[in-house]
Amino acid sequence: MTGSRKDKIILQNLTVSYEEKGGLFTALDDISFGVADGEFVSVIGSSGCGKSTLLSVLEGLLRPSGGSALIDGAPISGPGPDRGVVFQSYSLFPWMTARKNVAFGIKHARRELKRAEVYRIADEYLEKVGLSDSRGRYPSRLSGGMQQRVAIARALAMDTDILLMDEPFGAVDAKNRVQLQEMLLDLWGHEARRKTVVFITHDIDEAIFLSDRVVMLTESPGRVYRDIHVPFPRPRDRSGLLGSSVYVEFRRDVTALFFGDKTGETEDDWVKI
Amino acid sequence: MSPAKLSFRTRYVRTANLLFAIFLLIQFLPNRISKADAPGYAVGFAVIAEAALLCASALATKKTGLCLIADIAAFLYALLIAWTLATAKFNLTKEMLFPPPGIVFRQLAEDVPQLGRHIGSSLALIAQGYLLALAAALPLGLVLGYSARIGNAAAYVAKFLGAIPPVVYIPYGIALLPSFRSVSVLVIFLASFWPILAATMSGVLLVERRIVDSARVLNVGRLTMLFRIILSAALPQILIGCSQGLTVSFILLTSAEMIGARSGMGFYVKNYSDLGNYTRTIVGVLVVGIVISAVFFAFNKLQKFLLRWR
Repeated sequence: MTGSRKDKIILQNLTVSYEEKGGLFTALDDISFGVADGEFVSVIGSSGCGKSTLLSVLEGLLRPSGGSALIDGAPISGPGPDRGVVFQSYSLFPWMTARKNVAFGIKHARRELKRAEVYRIADEYLEKVGLSDSRGRYPSRLSGGMQQRVAIARALAMDTDILLMDEPFGAVDAKNRVQLQEMLLDLWGHEARRKTVVFITHDIDEAIFLSDRVVMLTESPGRVYRDIHVPFPRPRDRSGLLGSSVYVEFRRDVTALFFGDKTGETEDDWVKI
Repeated sequence: MSPAKLSFRTRYVRTANLLFAIFLLIQFLPNRISKADAPGYAVGFAVIAEAALLCASALATKKTGLCLIADIAAFLYALLIAWTLATAKFNLTKEMLFPPPGIVFRQLAEDVPQLGRHIGSSLALIAQGYLLALAAALPLGLVLGYSARIGNAAAYVAKFLGAIPPVVYIPYGIALLPSFRSVSVLVIFLASFWPILAATMSGVLLVERRIVDSARVLNVGRLTMLFRIILSAALPQILIGCSQGLTVSFILLTSAEMIGARSGMGFYVKNYSDLGNYTRTIVGVLVVGIVISAVFFAFNKLQKFLLRWR
């Protein structure tokens, strides 16, 4: 999967290390994989494996110590209007209403738009995530799940090529999480032009249900442990999929791999489906 | 909630109303002072307060709000009762130093035009010095706080300069500047500048990195980052500094007016106590209290509005 020329995002031998008291700490070590245009890729790993560091590089907030991170063939030099980001929390500005938050994002991603148009799009996307009635509320008056809906509405409304999501449903309760996953998949699948998504999670079911590919990282330093193609066709129906025996089997294999990663072994003993 | 939801008992049967009745009753006790009292003014004042309380009782929609107003009224009546009893009725204090409430309120009513001028003079000075300080300290604090390197050095400098009580600049200011008014503006400026600067800088330093990151990934420009993101996020801290600055400004201004002014609330108090007119001295003290309370009431309303998102 590495380095195909037409990939939207390419990571080549990406290494990130920090100066620490005890010396140099390597968070990511020699990461290489690509994400094709319109592909939905999850990066999965236990906490502290550097998956959020990986996303920070793609967001342009963190410079690689070695190797390269390319978008459309050009190295990432900083945050850019081609990427929309959803964090686990604090994506929204607490002093702006839901509507204002979305509009603020649109205004900065699409500077050519007129004010009225910005608010029209904001309202349209708030409706898509089912929050038309709450658009005048401040984030402090919204539940965690609703806040993430607003953040997703903002990221989608910005109409960027790439969507970067850093455990967006990590702080949401189980029931809401399922609803949000389905909503995200539905919105993503119905866009005129599918966005390229990099989605960070530690939830195996979430990764499988959402993605075309799952990239599994080892623990410190983070290395690519497995790059797994998810074979299920879209559109995916949760209840149908989760009950099927292929899914159960696939999930069992992925889980075995995930928990087998104690030694950081990387030889290929995995039979691809 | 509709007004009907509060019971008659909650609305009208209150300690405040009882105290009001007691205050009216004690007027019938014989006077023990030689000077002519003017109880009508005290009663008039209490009646106005009671009318306001009854209006609030009739219109209130929330129990907590009504309770607060009623409790304040109760304190007021208790104070008036104690004051009347201690002066006019039992003559426990020196008549000359401590006149009964009626005489003080009469004096207050008579002096309204004069007091208005003094209040206006004080508030104009406060407004000039404070707004200048705000205009200077806020952008400076934002920039210094945001650029960590300069900010660290600046934090120590600000701590040192902020530790100097602004009152020590008064003599130097008098030597330096042509008029009392310009010295006052300078002192108020210095009194509010440091707290606002320090609060802005620490507010900026305390802004969550995740909020800054959220803004950075939205690709905002430098000015937007400073004034729409950092400023908003640091606003709760900044307002604490603004409130401190305002407090110190009033303390210093009233002190300064007592030392060298020909106008202002502090001058009114000092001038009349020098002349031995203690009725007016008390009037002045009351007015200072009322004006500063009113300013802070407005400030808190503004703060609540600015932080309505919390």
